[in-house]
Amino acid sequence: MDTIEQIATDPAEAEQGGAPVIAVEDLHKSFGSQHVLDGISLAVKRGETLAVLGRSGTGKSVLLRLIIGLETPDSGSVRIHGQAIAGLALDQLGEIRKKMGFLFQHAALYDSLTVEQNVAFPLQHHKKNMPKSEKADRVRQLLAEVGMEDALAKMPSDISGGMQKRVGLARALALEPDILLLDEPTAGLDPISAAEIDDLVLKLQQEHHMASIVVTHDLHSAKTIANRLALLNRGKVVIEGDFEELQKSDIEFVKEFLKHS
Amino acid sequence: MLSLEARYSLTRFGAKSLLPAAIVFSVIHETGPIITGLVVSGRVGAGIGAELASMKVTEQIDAIEASAVNPYRLLAATRILACILMLPLLTLAADCCGLVMGWITQFMVEPVSLHQFINAGFSGADFNDFLPPTFKTAVFGLIIGLIACFQGMRTQGGAAGVGRAATSSVVLSSLFVILADVVLVKLIILFFP
Ligand SMILES: Nc1ncnc2c1ncn2[C@@H]1O[C@H](COP(=O)(O)OP(=O)(O)OP(=O)(O)O)[C@@H](O)[C@H]1O
Ligand SMILES: [Mg+2]
Repeated sequence: MDTIEQIATDPAEAEQGGAPVIAVEDLHKSFGSQHVLDGISLAVKRGETLAVLGRSGTGKSVLLRLIIGLETPDSGSVRIHGQAIAGLALDQLGEIRKKMGFLFQHAALYDSLTVEQNVAFPLQHHKKNMPKSEKADRVRQLLAEVGMEDALAKMPSDISGGMQKRVGLARALALEPDILLLDEPTAGLDPISAAEIDDLVLKLQQEHHMASIVVTHDLHSAKTIANRLALLNRGKVVIEGDFEELQKSDIEFVKEFLKHS
Repeated sequence: MLSLEARYSLTRFGAKSLLPAAIVFSVIHETGPIITGLVVSGRVGAGIGAELASMKVTEQIDAIEASAVNPYRLLAATRILACILMLPLLTLAADCCGLVMGWITQFMVEPVSLHQFINAGFSGADFNDFLPPTFKTAVFGLIIGLIACFQGMRTQGGAAGVGRAATSSVVLSSLFVILADVVLVKLIILFFP
């Protein structure tokens, strides 16, 4: 446990590949008497994808929400590009959030807007100078990237959960973020669509050098897209490393988890 | 209803001719504004409360925030402004309905044309009787909008939470509309004697 946290925040490693874009340190979060996160430390650098695995209810979604500041931690810190987000004024936090793309576990599309308007929403609010036609082109291009260009005029309630997820991903990418936080991007997708999303995340990571954290239950997808994997259990990081390291581990929970995946 | 009862008591005191004035006075001063306030609390308060609450529990408000847009400015400000602007207008409509109803009840007992009724009713009234009570409802609008948005946006816990938000919006905004009315009537009497 200790050694893992040391690896994540090792200064030598940080110097080697530049300072981490996302740095989470000793994060604690409880809801009432339920201690959900119990000292989580993670760091993700530019061009790196970290897959976060763990059983249902271990706090993976809560972790992502803490990173983008939708929840406040009981203790510990989140740093984005070196800047601690705790205590920032809303507009300062906004500047940071513009560089972050967030995909909610249940997509969280605006149900009163069409698919097209959903993806256009961030552009509408933050690219006020962009000409209308350019915005429309960008929306089309984003939707094409997730394979949803045919659903432009549909309402979110009229498309399937997996399709909503893909629209959510397109919306998350609208402002060309350099950080991606994806909560189960391939859950509920057929294998072909899932592979397409994996390819997209890989492309974003390699071509745009995004720093990403991807929560997933899909070990295959995690293996494909992630440089490193972190396995959470009972609010702690049980192990962090590449897939081989996980396979070699003799921690009981890791073996159990891999056996069933 | 009010006018029938008033008629009974006024007739007893031999002041029947004051009835149109009494009806106009009560409708414009109090009944119109407060009934509008309470009806809007019920309808619009519940509507806004439930709408924002369901956006909250489906994480749409979080999504707005995650897109670096201020959900309060985007969702609450427009709704509160709409409430503030709409209430005085709705009050005007309610006043008209109230007066016509007052005339109809009056007409049932004693034939008098609407024109006569209005003339008699407004003979002793001036703008100070009319404007402050109408525009005080803008404050009701502010209260209803604020409470409904607040209750909606801080909702937690699924569909049950949406129901709770709608109910508490109605209850709290009705309550505060009545409280505000007491204060405002005092102020209006103070400043527009
Ligand atoms: N707002 C909240 N209030 C109270 N408890 C919460 C809240 N948000 C999350 N929790 C609790 O925190 C725990 C972790 O939730 P979280 O959604 O992060 O799990 P998860 O790891 O994402 O699970 P899954 O894989 O099923 O999505 C759960 O037990 C949940 O009940
Ligand atoms: Mg989750």
